[in-house]
Amino acid sequence: MDVLASLADGFAVALTWQNLGLALIGCFLGTIIGALPGLGPSNGVAILIPLAFTLGLPATPALILLTSVYYGAMYGGRISSILLNIPGDEPALMTTLDGYPMTQQGKAGEALALSGIASFVGAFFATWGLVFLAPQLVKVALLFGPAEYFALFTLAFATLGGIAARNQAKAVIAAALGLGIAMVGVDHQTGVPRLTFGEIHLYEGIHFLIAIVGLFAISEVLLFLEHAKGEAPEASATKLNRITAPLSMLKKTAGAMGRSTIVGFIAGVLPGAGASLGSFVSYTMEKRISDKDGTFGKGDPRGVAAPEAGNNAAAGGALVPMLALGVPGSGTTAVLLAMLMALNITPGPLLFTQQPDVVWGLIAALFIGNIMLLLLNVPMVGIFVRVLQVPTKYLMPAVAMIAFVGIYGLSGSTFDLLVMIGFGVGGYVLRKLDVPLVPVILGILLGNEMEKNMRRALTISDGEYSILWGSPIAITIWVLAIVGFVAPVLIGRFLRPKKDVTVSP
Amino acid sequence: MSDRILGGTCLVLALLYIYFATQIRVGFISDPMGPKAFPIAIGVVLALGSLYTLLRPDPEPVWPKLGRLGEIVFAVVVMVAYTYALPEFGFIISTTFAAGFLSWRLGATPFAAAIAGVGIALGIFVVFRLILKLSLAIGPWGF
Amino acid sequence: MRKLAAAGAATLFAAIAFTGQAFSFEPKQTECVAPANAGGGWDFTCRQVGKALYDLKIVPGPVQVTNLAGGGGGVAFAEVVAKRNTNNDLIVAASSATTTRLAQGAFPGANQDQVRWIGTVGADYGVIAVSKDSPINTLPELFEKVKADPKSVSFAGGSAVGGWDHLKVLIAAKEAGIDDARTIKYVAFEGGGEAVTQLLGGHVQAFTGDISETKGFVDSGDLKVLAVLSEERLPGEFADFPTAREQGIDAVGANWRGFYAPGGMSDEAYDFWVNAVKTTYESDEWKQIMATNGLMPLARFGDEFDAFIAKQVADTEALSREIGILQ
Repeated sequence: MDVLASLADGFAVALTWQNLGLALIGCFLGTIIGALPGLGPSNGVAILIPLAFTLGLPATPALILLTSVYYGAMYGGRISSILLNIPGDEPALMTTLDGYPMTQQGKAGEALALSGIASFVGAFFATWGLVFLAPQLVKVALLFGPAEYFALFTLAFATLGGIAARNQAKAVIAAALGLGIAMVGVDHQTGVPRLTFGEIHLYEGIHFLIAIVGLFAISEVLLFLEHAKGEAPEASATKLNRITAPLSMLKKTAGAMGRSTIVGFIAGVLPGAGASLGSFVSYTMEKRISDKDGTFGKGDPRGVAAPEAGNNAAAGGALVPMLALGVPGSGTTAVLLAMLMALNITPGPLLFTQQPDVVWGLIAALFIGNIMLLLLNVPMVGIFVRVLQVPTKYLMPAVAMIAFVGIYGLSGSTFDLLVMIGFGVGGYVLRKLDVPLVPVILGILLGNEMEKNMRRALTISDGEYSILWGSPIAITIWVLAIVGFVAPVLIGRFLRPKKDVTVSP
Repeated sequence: MSDRILGGTCLVLALLYIYFATQIRVGFISDPMGPKAFPIAIGVVLALGSLYTLLRPDPEPVWPKLGRLGEIVFAVVVMVAYTYALPEFGFIISTTFAAGFLSWRLGATPFAAAIAGVGIALGIFVVFRLILKLSLAIGPWGF
Repeated sequence: MRKLAAAGAATLFAAIAFTGQAFSFEPKQTECVAPANAGGGWDFTCRQVGKALYDLKIVPGPVQVTNLAGGGGGVAFAEVVAKRNTNNDLIVAASSATTTRLAQGAFPGANQDQVRWIGTVGADYGVIAVSKDSPINTLPELFEKVKADPKSVSFAGGSAVGGWDHLKVLIAAKEAGIDDARTIKYVAFEGGGEAVTQLLGGHVQAFTGDISETKGFVDSGDLKVLAVLSEERLPGEFADFPTAREQGIDAVGANWRGFYAPGGMSDEAYDFWVNAVKTTYESDEWKQIMATNGLMPLARFGDEFDAFIAKQVADTEALSREIGILQ
């Protein structure tokens, strides 16, 4: 087969000692970057571009280094989500929902091992998808216009009911706060600043990383300060039973991994959707399908496996439009794309035929990097969990300082740091009042996209609303949203006898 | 009571938000939907969620004692001071003080906290500046 | 400590003695401010020029790139004016987006005379394109269609309304005899790449962007370039594209990339940087980078660049006022 022969050539390109070394360095640095709050895949890759420049690497090795960092960061984000309840970056957000409860139950080792395997499964099959399906998938991605994207983002919001919250009204408040924050900044479709109060720092809006780090990391530090010196807030479960995932757990989560890989990959391929949407929809869909006993949000292993398989599959999927169309589907691929151009490579429809060495070398490197990451991550679970044994009085200051450094390094702006502290205080208050934080971030991440696509669609149709359900794809997504998510909530509310669902966790 | 305050605050916030949204200056060129509709809709959703919370609050959460609350306020003040100190005194010195302070307030002895402050500052400097080449704040002495 | 100081003084003297013949200014720790997050266009301008400056031994050490994001470049502009006005070792990446925003008053309280303009390192010319299946073959045909039925053509571009991609269409439309800018349907996307895919998917009818964004799709035959907004035909592989001018629509739009420096920079330092950027621009290494990035020649340095900026700001301001973006 043609494709397999090309792939074999790719392995011939990638399998040199230098390239393997670069992949190893990339995977290692990427994992660390992913785990540190405030540094995610996109700024991780951006940070390491100068390194590739200074080493004077030619195209293929440079790409191998940076894509290893990319995949590594996607793996690494889960570590702080699971251990500290602080998402290392935005795709790892959903992993906090069940990962941290597992840690509280003393199952941090299992959660880390399982999520490592789920990440591998997602990334591995997504890379195969990239090999075989890229040209066909690109055609599908082109069918997505503003109306279809609007439907897709609305679907994502419709699944919000699936996120664990004891009080749905508070989830609504949280999402609305996030959406409200998303509106700040210069409006793209008219060019006027909105809700900026003349503050030039707000013209570009509020970066979601600032919100994530403030809401999760800084507020966590404040929560710890609440308790008297030396006294731990909750019996932090440092007893670690095991550092591998038992076979029964893998069996139980296999279905979740498989489904999430497919969902995540599709979300990744759509240039307007991205990795965070992939992990988000994977989680809520899995909850809808398999959460029969209401264990999601309380440390269900499937709730860890699903978003991790989903976001790593999305990371692989996002490379499809980047390579085949030259269109970045996420912040990270935007940076990689800029790097490609700087290396004299023009991504686009002809890349696969004009520069097969680069493409297949890169794909081979993805396989190699992925296997390296699995080998690196599973034995290292034992080291990662040691983080929990660091007393909070030393761990939390370090977390706070890393948060500051991550944000400052991204934008060099004092203003951003103040906004982050503001989010920290807000996050603390919201946590105390049992308002879930995840919908806030989702509002910030998805709100803009939802509005922009709706307005783009309406601009194209001259204000005719029917364009929003004017294509088979759009209709399919709407039906999915209504049947899968809106209807069950309504029917459930209707059928369930009126009782307070406020059971203590 | 806390939930009622939350609901009330968010309701006021929602109304303010809707007011500010209506004040958005629409330019000469506008799309059919305009820049105001979406923010107004969000304000309405926020108001509805707030009303529900205002009328049907959850049980009261456990708030920390006043002393501990002061601790939190003080930590926030330190973080703000840290933010302003960064460009003035550079990364290492500012971070040593901020991290040391937080460590002390989280229960370390002053001596251990000082060591922790220096260790955290140097550790981050090595990893982020020397290995990852991230631009950290540079003070008058170049670090 | 004393030893260190002595060593430092010695190197300093050596450095002055060594370079005394060429320039009275010797750069120390040079810095390039990218007014955007890492990974964006300005970031790359800084990194690539910074690398070339070091490789060509124009500066003594690697150029430190600092990201100072916010306000579409406005935060960096304000910071340089307010806090680093006399720094001699500092340059800031800029492009047409900078002058567009200056002209439209999007940097509150700022104007182009507050900084010193150094020079360009190339330009990316504007293009207007349609998909390969489109029945439209020339730029006048496209605007005829817009005139006949404004609702039938949506333009997709990568900048916000009032931004550079939008202005290019408006400049061309005005030259083609369309006076009311509001009749042009413009849909803003995140970057040129996304706009192109929307065109290929058939969701919009025309694309406005820069030539570097379209290269891959023109090569594959998916895109039909109706016009390049350059004075004359571009060199090399782009020579097949007709200019708007030769089709009777006198519209030119070049997205230049270059640098400015703090307003209080000494004349010696300013001369040094003008010369440094010029030397880089003329080097073979840079020509290679330009070719790979789809950058076209555009050489303006020192006073000439200053005049160029003044004209561009004035032109953009007049245009923005005329079409109603600026009131």
